[in-house]
Amino acid sequence: MNNIWGDMAQYDPVTWNWIIAIYLFMAGLSAGSILIGIGLRWYSSDEDKKSGKESAILKAAAIISPIAISLGLACLVLDLTKPFHFWLILINYNFESVMALGVLALLAYTPLGIAYALIVLRDELAKCKLGFLLPVAQMLLPFRKAIEVLLFILAIGVGAYTGFLISAMNAYPMLNTAVLPALFLVSGLSAGAAANLVVALLMFNVDSHDKELSKMHGLELPVMATEIMFLFMLFCALYFKGGAAALALASLTTGVWASVFWIGVVGIGFGIPLLSMLMPASTRHTKTAMIVVACSGLTGVLALRHFIIYAGQSYIY
Amino acid sequence: MSKRYVMVHDENKCIGCQACNVACRSENGIPEGVTRLQVRVEGPFGLAPNLHFKYHRVSCQQCEDAPCVKVCPTGAAYVGEDGIVTIDDDKCVGCMYCVAACPYKVRFVNPETKATDKCNFCKDTRLARGEQPACVTVCPTDALTFGDANDPDSEVVRLLNSKISYQDKTHLGTKPRVYRIPTKRGGIQS
Amino acid sequence: MIKLDRRNFIKGVGAGGASCALATMLPGSLAALENAPLKGVGKEVASICEMCSTRCPISARVVDGKNVFITGNKEAKSFGGKVCARGGAGHSLLYDPQRIVKPLKRVGERGEGKWAEISWDEAYEMMATNLNRIKREHGPEAVAFSSKKGSLSGHFFHLAKAFGSPNTFTHGSLCPGAYVIASKSMFGTKLKRDLSNSKYIINFGHNLYEGINMSETRGMMKAQSEGGAKLVVFEPRFSVVADKADEWHAVRPGTDVAVALALCHVLITDKLYDQTFIDRYVVGFEEFVAEVKAYTPEWAEGITDVKAQDIRRIAHELAAAAPHALVDFGHRATFTTEEFDMRRAIFAANVLIGNIERKGGLYLAKKAKTYNKFAGETVAPKLAKLGVEGMPTPTAKRIDQMDKQYTMVWKNGGVYQSILAATLEAKPYQLRGWVMSRTNPMQTMTDRTKVLAALKKMEFVAVCDVYISETAAYADLILPESTYLERDEEIADKSGKNPAYYVRQRVVETIGDTKPSWLIFKEVGDALGLGKFYPWQNMETLQLAQLSRDDKALRHIKEKGYVSYGKPLMLREASMVAEFSDTYANARTPDEDGTYASALKFKTPSGKIELSSAAVESFAPGRGVIRYRDAPLKRADELYFIQGKVAIHTNGATHNVPILANLMADNAVWIHPVTAGRLGISHGDAIRLTSSVGSETSYALVTPGIRQDTVFAYMGFGSKNKELIRATGKGLHCGNLLPDSTAPVVGMNLHTTGVKVEKV
Repeated sequence: MNNIWGDMAQYDPVTWNWIIAIYLFMAGLSAGSILIGIGLRWYSSDEDKKSGKESAILKAAAIISPIAISLGLACLVLDLTKPFHFWLILINYNFESVMALGVLALLAYTPLGIAYALIVLRDELAKCKLGFLLPVAQMLLPFRKAIEVLLFILAIGVGAYTGFLISAMNAYPMLNTAVLPALFLVSGLSAGAAANLVVALLMFNVDSHDKELSKMHGLELPVMATEIMFLFMLFCALYFKGGAAALALASLTTGVWASVFWIGVVGIGFGIPLLSMLMPASTRHTKTAMIVVACSGLTGVLALRHFIIYAGQSYIY
Repeated sequence: MSKRYVMVHDENKCIGCQACNVACRSENGIPEGVTRLQVRVEGPFGLAPNLHFKYHRVSCQQCEDAPCVKVCPTGAAYVGEDGIVTIDDDKCVGCMYCVAACPYKVRFVNPETKATDKCNFCKDTRLARGEQPACVTVCPTDALTFGDANDPDSEVVRLLNSKISYQDKTHLGTKPRVYRIPTKRGGIQS
Repeated sequence: MIKLDRRNFIKGVGAGGASCALATMLPGSLAALENAPLKGVGKEVASICEMCSTRCPISARVVDGKNVFITGNKEAKSFGGKVCARGGAGHSLLYDPQRIVKPLKRVGERGEGKWAEISWDEAYEMMATNLNRIKREHGPEAVAFSSKKGSLSGHFFHLAKAFGSPNTFTHGSLCPGAYVIASKSMFGTKLKRDLSNSKYIINFGHNLYEGINMSETRGMMKAQSEGGAKLVVFEPRFSVVADKADEWHAVRPGTDVAVALALCHVLITDKLYDQTFIDRYVVGFEEFVAEVKAYTPEWAEGITDVKAQDIRRIAHELAAAAPHALVDFGHRATFTTEEFDMRRAIFAANVLIGNIERKGGLYLAKKAKTYNKFAGETVAPKLAKLGVEGMPTPTAKRIDQMDKQYTMVWKNGGVYQSILAATLEAKPYQLRGWVMSRTNPMQTMTDRTKVLAALKKMEFVAVCDVYISETAAYADLILPESTYLERDEEIADKSGKNPAYYVRQRVVETIGDTKPSWLIFKEVGDALGLGKFYPWQNMETLQLAQLSRDDKALRHIKEKGYVSYGKPLMLREASMVAEFSDTYANARTPDEDGTYASALKFKTPSGKIELSSAAVESFAPGRGVIRYRDAPLKRADELYFIQGKVAIHTNGATHNVPILANLMADNAVWIHPVTAGRLGISHGDAIRLTSSVGSETSYALVTPGIRQDTVFAYMGFGSKNKELIRATGKGLHCGNLLPDSTAPVVGMNLHTTGVKVEKV
C-alpha cells in the first residue's frame, strides 16, 4: 500500500543524536578523570602525600573534570528545544526520572569539581593570571578531605548516571540492559586515564617514566579488559534474549554504525593500545607514543558513545 | 469512581482512510509536518489470494504505566485526574527524553510550541466540551469507540467484553489504554 | 521521500513557509492577501461537502477563527454524522495560500504561467468580447461548455443554453456514465443500492472503502459487521475492499463482463432465478436466455482467470441469499470498451434474483411526488424544477450527435472527449471556444497530449475553478470561484427510500475577491447581453421558488441542513409497506400479498425491465441484447495498466490541498514481485511506463496485491503545471498514458491500456 498517512520523519526512532553522545562522553570523561586522580592520590605513598606537592595526574584531572562536565552540560542545554528555559529543569523535579536525579547529582558535582580544582591547582592559579581566586582556594583547603570524598562518590554516580539515563528506556533492547551503566563507568575511567595522561604530559611536563603515570598506566589493561567483557556481556544478553533484542545485533554487521563499532571502538579504541604493548618498552614509553595511544583510547570511547546512542536507538521493541 | 478512558480500534472495521488523521489535525490545530495520529495500512501480508492488510493506528497509547511520564525530569509529562497522559507545555524544556523513551514513538516536538506533543484524547478541546475525540467523531466506519472503562454500561466495556482484543507491546509493561480488535485474517501481531 | 532527521524536520516546517513565499509570487493567490482570521457565519452550520462529487451532508464549525472543524451532519442518518479525510480537510482548501482569489488573465503564451490580476468587470468584458465574436462569426455551437456534474452546474449549462450552444458536457463519460446509461436502458431510471440490508454482495471493483461514498461505505460495512453479509470481490488488485472481502478473485482487467455473464448463465441453467419476478416485470428474457447459453463458467474461466467452480458456487450462494443480495453495478465505469454490456450484465444478475425493491437489493428513489402519491397526502414538499420562459433552442446539432449510437448519452452529459476530434480535426465541425467550470480534463480525460493540443488550438478558453488546475493553466481567463464553504446553493434532492432534501450553506464569509459560480455565470450572462434569461436576484429567491414560496419549509431545511420525510419504503417489501400504510391514513391499499408490487412500474417504452431493448437495437444495431464481445486492451508483450481512487484524494482536484498533499503527494506504481524480478526492478526503484500515447516515470511499489500481468497507480497525480506547487511533477500522470478511446453506446473513455515497464 502506498503511504497515504503522511510524513514519517517524526517516527524516526533515533531521537537523541551526536550532541547527546558527546554529552555522555564528556560526563564519563569528567567522572573517570577525577576518579582516577583522586583514587591515585589515596593510594599514593604517605611521603608523597606529605610532600604537599600535588601530583601531575591529579592536577590534570582537576583541570579536565570541571571543563569536561561544563562542556557536556553546554551540549545538553543546547540540545534542548527550549534552551532558554533550561532553568525549568532546575526548579521542577520528578524523582522517578533518572534525568532529574542526574540533574541533582550534577548540581552538586559541578561546583564541587570546580572547588576541588581550585584546591588542587592553588599553586598554579597565579601562573594563569587567576591569582585573585587564591583566597577562595585557601578558604576551601580545610575542607579538602570532605570535598574529595563527596566528589569521588558523586563522580561514580555521574559516570554511571549517563548509562542509567539511556538504559532506563525500555523501548530499546540494546540500551535497556543492566550492564550499560557499568560499561559507561568503566569506559569513562578509560577515557579519564587517557585524558589525564595527555594533559599531564603536555601541560605539566611530567616525565613519561613518572611513578604516578606508571601506576595509572598499569590500570589501563584491566580497565580495558573489563570494558571488553561488559561489551561481550551486552551482546550476549541481546543474543539470548532473542526476538527484537537479537535483531539489534544486526547493528554489528550492517550500516554505518557497524563500521563505527569495528573501526572506532574495536580497532582504534582497543586495537591500537593493545598492539602498542607489543612495541619495545623504549618506543612505547616515548611521549609521542603515549599520547598517540591515549588519543586512540579517547577516540574509542567517543566512538562507543556514538555507537550506543545511534545503534541503540535504531532497534526498537 | 474515577474515570478510566480507553479507546478501542476495530481493525476489521477500519479502512485506513485517514479521516481520523485529518480531523485530529483540524480540531487540535496540529502544524504541518507533524501528527498526533496516523493509521498505517501495512502489507499486504500472506500468500495471494489469501492476503491481508494490517490497519495500524499509531497514536499515544495512554499507557497506565507510561514510560514518558516516568522519565520526564520536570513533571511536564503527567497523568491527569482523568487518567489521560498529558503535557504541561510550560514545564517542558524539550529534553526529548520522553520522545526517546516512548516505545510507540508517538511523541514529537511541536514546532510551534517547542514542547513535546501527542494525542491526549482531545482532552482540552472536545472532551472539555463533553464531546467524543475528533477521530471517533468522524470515523466513517465506526471503527473507533471511546469511553470510560470504569463505567460498566459503557460501549467500550460492552465491546471489550464481547470481542477479542489486544494491546500493543504489552510485554514492556506499559498497560496501554488503546485496545485493538484484530483483523479476521493474520492473527495478532503486537 | 526525503529522509529528515528530527532537527531537520523542524527546519522542514520552515521550508513549508518557503513554499508559501513561492506562492506569493502567484498573482491572484490567497497568499497575496493579509492573513485575516476566518469569520464564521454561525456557531455550527449544516452544509454539503464538495471535496468530491459524492457531496455528503456536513456540519462545520469555525475553531478559534483559524480552522474549520468539519464533521458529518447527524440529521442524515445513513451518513452517520461522519466525514472522510477529504471532507475533513475542506478548511485546508479554504485557507490555502495558493488558492486563486482574483480573476486572472493570461499574459504570456498559453501554459507559460504568466498571469495578470484583473477586475471582475474586465473578466466579464473578456468573456463577452470573445464569446460573442465566436458566436457572430461561427455560431454559438462553436463554443463548448463543460462542467463537473451537479451542484451549480445547472447555472453553468443555463448559460450555455441561453448563449445557444448545444455542446454541453459533464465528466460523466470519463467516470460513472456507463452504469447510468445501462440502468436507464433497462429500468428507464437510475437505481440505488440497499447495501446495508444485503446478505450477499458481489463487487466488481467498486472501491467503496477508498472511493468513499459515506452512506454506501457505511452501509456495506454495516452489512458486513452487523448483518453478517458475505462480500465477494472481483478486482485485479488487492484494494481495501478486496481486503475486507470474504473472497478476493484477481480477475483479468476488463473481463468482469464475462464473470457477470457466467453468473447469469448459472442462475438460468441451474434454475436459480426468480421466475415470478421475471414473468411479472421483465421483457426480453428469452433473447437473453438464448444469448447467455454459451457463457458457461468454463468459458469465463478462460477469459477471466476466475475458476469456473468458484463462479458456479458464487452464483448458487447469491441465489440462496436472494432477494436480500445484490451485485454491485459499480461507480467508475471505464474498465473496458464493452462497458455497456458489462454494466447491463451486472444489472441482469440482479434482475434474475428478483432483488428490485427488496431489502438488501436495488431500488428506485422515492422522490416527493411519488411518495406523496403513495401516502395520499403531502408528506414532503415538492421541489419545483425552475425554468425560464423563452429559452432559445439550439439550432445546431451536438458534436457527439452525428453518431446515433450515443443517443442516450446526449441528454446524460454527452461524450465529453468528442471535444478533442471536433477541435483537432473539425469532426463533425470546428470548435473554437471552451468554457469550463470545475472540471480538469487535462487530468481526467484520456490522452493528455491530445487534450493539450485541443486547448492550445482553441481561440478562447475560460476556466472557473478554485486553483490554477492543470487545465486552467492553459486558459486565457480564470474565474475564481468561492469554495463550497463560502457558498449558498439551491436545495438539492437526496431522496432514497423516502424523500430527503439538503442544502449547501456558507460556513464562513468569503475570503478574497471570489464569487459563487451561479453569480459568476449570471453576471457573464448579463455581460453577454442575455440578462433577460436571469430573472432571479439571489440564491434565497431561487430556494424559495423551489419550495413554491413555502418559507417555513425552507427555514426548516436550512436549519437542519438535511431533512428526511416519512419512512423508508420499498414497494415489494411487505413489512415496510405495512408500516407505511399504517402511518398514512389515505395511503394506497396494499396488494393481497401486503406489498405495493402492483405499483412497480418502469419508465421504459414497455413499462417493464427491458433485459433486451428494442430501443437500443434501433439506434445501435446488434446491441439490443446483452452479448460478450472480445475487447483487446493491450498487446501480448505489455502489462495492463489500471488505476483507482485513494481515500484521501479526488481525481484531478485535491492534490494541491495542503493537508491532503502532505498525506500523500505521489503515486508509486504497484507491480507484482515476479514481474518486478523479471524486469530487474526492486521496491522503490524509479521506473518508466510507456504506452501507445505517452511515457511517465514513478517509483515501483512491489507487492503481491496485484496480478502478475498488471500494474496499478492511484489516479490524479503528476500534474505538470507549475502553478500547482505542491502537486507538480509528483508521481505519474495517468491521463498521459491512456489512449483516447470511446466505448460503443455509453460513450465512455477507457482507463485500461497496455504499458511497457522498465527500470530507469
